[in-house]
Amino acid sequence: MDAVSLNAAAGTQVPAASLRNAWVKFGQFTAIQDISLEIEAGAFYSILGPSGCGKSTLLRLVSDLIPPAAGEVSVFGKTTEAARLAREFAFVFQDATLLPWRSALKNVELPLEIGRSRGIDIPVSDKSPMELLELVGLKGREHALPHELSGGMRQRVAIARALVCKPKLLLMDEPFGALDEMTRDHLNLQLLKVWEETGVTILFVTHSIPEAVFLGQKVLMLKAHPGRLHEIVDIDLPYPRSIAQRDTPEFTRYSAHLRGLLEAC
Amino acid sequence: MTAVENTLNVIASDEAAEIAAARRNRLVAIATPVATAATLIFLWEAGVRVFGVPDYIAPTPSAVASTLVEEFPQLMRNFWPTLYESLMGFAVGNLAAVLIAVAFVHSRLAERAFFPIAVFINTIPILAIAPILVLIFGAGLTAKVVIAALICFFPTLVNMVRGLQAVSPQALELARILSASKSEVFWKIRLPSSLPFLFSALKIAATTSVIGAIVGEWVGADLGLGALIIDATFNFRSALLYATVFLSSGLSVLLFAAVTIAERLVVRW
Ligand SMILES: Nc1ncnc2c1ncn2[C@@H]1O[C@H](COP(=O)(O)OP(=O)(O)OP(=O)(O)O)[C@@H](O)[C@H]1O
Ligand SMILES: [Mg+2]
Repeated sequence: MDAVSLNAAAGTQVPAASLRNAWVKFGQFTAIQDISLEIEAGAFYSILGPSGCGKSTLLRLVSDLIPPAAGEVSVFGKTTEAARLAREFAFVFQDATLLPWRSALKNVELPLEIGRSRGIDIPVSDKSPMELLELVGLKGREHALPHELSGGMRQRVAIARALVCKPKLLLMDEPFGALDEMTRDHLNLQLLKVWEETGVTILFVTHSIPEAVFLGQKVLMLKAHPGRLHEIVDIDLPYPRSIAQRDTPEFTRYSAHLRGLLEAC
Repeated sequence: MTAVENTLNVIASDEAAEIAAARRNRLVAIATPVATAATLIFLWEAGVRVFGVPDYIAPTPSAVASTLVEEFPQLMRNFWPTLYESLMGFAVGNLAAVLIAVAFVHSRLAERAFFPIAVFINTIPILAIAPILVLIFGAGLTAKVVIAALICFFPTLVNMVRGLQAVSPQALELARILSASKSEVFWKIRLPSSLPFLFSALKIAATTSVIGAIVGEWVGADLGLGALIIDATFNFRSALLYATVFLSSGLSVLLFAAVTIAERLVVRW
């Protein structure tokens, strides 16, 4: 038995992601300076911060797209590379990044096709690709090509695709940034439903303070020049959350507090 | 009639009017070039007759048309070899271009070594290189196929290299997160995303391969539309010459249409 399963057996939770004194540099430029952080498994984190403060870089660091210049990053107790090979995390980009020649269903199936010929053991969601499309509200559109879908629908296909390998960690980089407010509200509710049903850990980057408060259990606030961790704010609002909660005084207080932090950056 | 019914009727008749307008537009779009062509042909016929232009300098369109009918068996006898050479050249040239493009995309060294040579070969006019190829390959089928292939090769190479590289960085990041192998990235992402580029190259090749085959036949052949063009010219059979040219461009149109149909079936996004 390795250390990870021992920990799990002992009931102590392995953090979904853990950064220890992590730095990221692009040449001389420091994008992330000395971040230490533990992401609790199963939690929903929103990530806020001024443009260029390293939010995307942080997600790219955790997902093994870029290496740390110094420090350590682990995902569920493994190296980021081992976690990537085991498909423990999935990424949702700002634009859906669907393959335009594949139908919605075929796009969702893509992760299952990759690696199979090499005999790699990929985890598979209990839900079929079809059921995942249904989960994100796209029943009946599974054979549509991406260009036949709206921006919000494409993003939902991307979310279904991200869930198809049963990830334990979902990294989302402004997934709803390009959508109108109504669609965004709708998708926020759907995302919370997915989170509650699957128990996945979510790191959700956004530019919108209300969105960050509405979704997250915690908000990670980063600050710029160079990118550092500014503060972690706990959002003690009950789930399931509803749009009406936005008008409550607590919600407004959290928003005002975060706005203050953002302006101080 | 109530106000609502009135409004509905107005809307319905608006829709009907829109459909009618769309149909009219489509008709105009087809009728305009057809009418223009018919007028030009008429002016040509009239001009030749009025000014008494001798038949061996410029035949009337009606003479060309009757030659097309009378000489149809002879024209077809020369049509098939040219079609065959064009298709073979099209297949060989494009296949080579695609394979070399794949090699270029996988190896920067191969690209650095061979791309300048490909550019150099492309700068030699096809008319200048055709006799050399006929010397090398003889007056048979091979030389014509090689010339047709050569003329297709370069545009397809350039387009295919661009197509294989035109993958969005995000799609590549997605592949990386899925730990896709190089061959998986190629088959699942690069190759399909290059198809629109490939088809625009194939459309160019559809017409240039016919040019290649005809140029090859000019240099040395007894049969084929190119040979017939030379033959008709030197015998002052201008109506036959025009009919042959007409058939040559018909062949190009045929190949172009075939590629366009294939593109519609394959590139549905
Ligand atoms: N590949 C790269 N090469 C050089 N610099 C980079 C690279 N990627 C990011 N940077 C720099 O690192 C900093 C952080 O970038 P990052 O994309 O993480 O910001 P962000 O917080 O996601 O911003 P935004 O909110 O605008 O998306 C920026 O100053 C950016 O210019
Ligand atoms: Mg970003």
